[in-house]
Amino acid sequence: MSVEVPVKATGMTQPLDSATTSKDAPHPVAMQVRGLNFYYGTSHALHDISLDFPERSVTGMIGPSGCGKSTLLRVLNRMYDLYPGQRATGEVIFDKQNILNSGVDLNVLRSRIGMVFQKPTPFPMSIYDNIAFGIRLHERVSRSEMDGRVEDALRRVALWPEVQDRLSASATALSGGQQQRLCIARTIAVRPEVILLDEPTSALDPVSTARIEELLDELKTEFTIAIVTHNMQQAARCADQVAFFYMGRLIEVDSTARMFTTPREQQTQDYITGRFG
Amino acid sequence: MEIPARQSLPAMKQAPSHQGGQKGDPAFRLLVTATGVGVLVVLGAIIAVMVTGGWKAFATFGPGFLVSAVWNPVTQHFGAAAPVFGTVISSALALLVAVPLAFGTAFWLTALAPPAAASVIGMAVQLLAAVPSIIFGMWGFFVVVPVVAHYVQPAARQLFGHVPGLSALVAGAPFGTGLFTAALILAVMITPSITAVMRDVFLSMPAVLRESGYGLGATRWEVMRHVVLPWSRQGVVGGIVLGMGRAMGETMAVTFVIGDSNHIGWSLFAPANTIASLIALEFPESPAGSLKLASLMALGAILMAISFVTLWFSRWLLARGEQAAGH
Repeated sequence: MSVEVPVKATGMTQPLDSATTSKDAPHPVAMQVRGLNFYYGTSHALHDISLDFPERSVTGMIGPSGCGKSTLLRVLNRMYDLYPGQRATGEVIFDKQNILNSGVDLNVLRSRIGMVFQKPTPFPMSIYDNIAFGIRLHERVSRSEMDGRVEDALRRVALWPEVQDRLSASATALSGGQQQRLCIARTIAVRPEVILLDEPTSALDPVSTARIEELLDELKTEFTIAIVTHNMQQAARCADQVAFFYMGRLIEVDSTARMFTTPREQQTQDYITGRFG
Repeated sequence: MEIPARQSLPAMKQAPSHQGGQKGDPAFRLLVTATGVGVLVVLGAIIAVMVTGGWKAFATFGPGFLVSAVWNPVTQHFGAAAPVFGTVISSALALLVAVPLAFGTAFWLTALAPPAAASVIGMAVQLLAAVPSIIFGMWGFFVVVPVVAHYVQPAARQLFGHVPGLSALVAGAPFGTGLFTAALILAVMITPSITAVMRDVFLSMPAVLRESGYGLGATRWEVMRHVVLPWSRQGVVGGIVLGMGRAMGETMAVTFVIGDSNHIGWSLFAPANTIASLIALEFPESPAGSLKLASLMALGAILMAISFVTLWFSRWLLARGEQAAGH
């Protein structure tokens, strides 16, 4: 693995190895994965992963099905914790803390590291309540402030003009693309620092996909984004750095430009030119 | 089946399975239509038998049959109010106990229990749901009735006996048999089946929806309350209605412990009767053609009517809930 940043407990302000930094704007690291191994029961799904997620930029994670990219995403917010038998070893440093430690408050962690799923997952409640739900979990806000927060979240995903007249209508009545933008709005309404997206456009049509991709461009000015995608064009369009996974290993990570033009590893070359996967 | 058989596809010319299908299809269709219509016929026949059988009682007592609490074979006066009261109250009390228990168990089994415990206890729940009611009846008679007589009612009287408003609920001699005991047995009987249904609907929810709730930082309870329950509302209500149906119609276990008294009162510990227990107790002593037999049949018709109304009401509740949610 080429990324060899010396790690101290305060990795947040560590200057980055040039390999993981886009040339013009060096971002501090929001999240650091170090020596991560992951197991589904006895099956070893991730092997010694080390990867940095620079602040306020998009990290694309690509690789063939079963390569472990979604698994890594589910480690980053401890989602795997819901399932007995799944365990991780190693370090994921976020805000100076190893979030894999057992003492971490998962509800707080997940409010700081939001997640958007493969399929839109609106809750069986109104559009308004879908957004308000997450806010209410963590904050006590007045009715008028809540209205403002809901509107703000919906505006930022460009959904406000489409739904402002029917906020009390069921969210399940929206189209797939609208539902997915609602789910993103729901995630950012909680004001997280990191947003994890697990193939967020795989169930959407091309127009909706384009809107989500535009949205990512705006969101990265404020959030650290990690996106798993099957679609290499999407990774090329959206990501600032791209990580290529294969069979549970991180093969290569580099700036998007270099990854798609001059990858260092033969396996990466084969994958991005469509020879497998 | 209408594919023209071309020369290039000789195999298509003789497709024996197609011919068999063409003959078999109408026959199969007739068969399944018959079973479908059969449901209606059976239902109609049952209603007809109960109503015609009970007609003599309705004709003799008129609407008074429904409100009279008298059940006196000597004077040939019969009224439905006491057993209807017993049925409704014992079932309602049973649900009051069973629903929170079932919900808690299902919640634990689906969200908190370690997988080994969840599978063992999940299985035990289903086994418990399959225990015949006569077993519950005997257990109720030999175990629960003495416990209620010696400990529960005296304790309840000590606690509430002097509280205005509540003292009436615990009044009466400590027989051990009565509404409370019947409701307790019913609750134990219906909790497993309600639990099993709730567990299944909770498990049938897409994992990703649940994860979305956790992904926002919700606790297990918050996910259950705001995501799982609204999503599975229909199944949950279905499970409760199923349990209520069983509670209202349960005969054997209730007959053992309810105390056989056609009496309406405030006391939860007073002996009473449900429609089902009264029918079971009195049926052998009701000669054909007698007014008593007609009254028992009429009671059966009323029990069916209560069940139908409950079912309809729960459906109406669900439909209204879905409208409110904007579906």
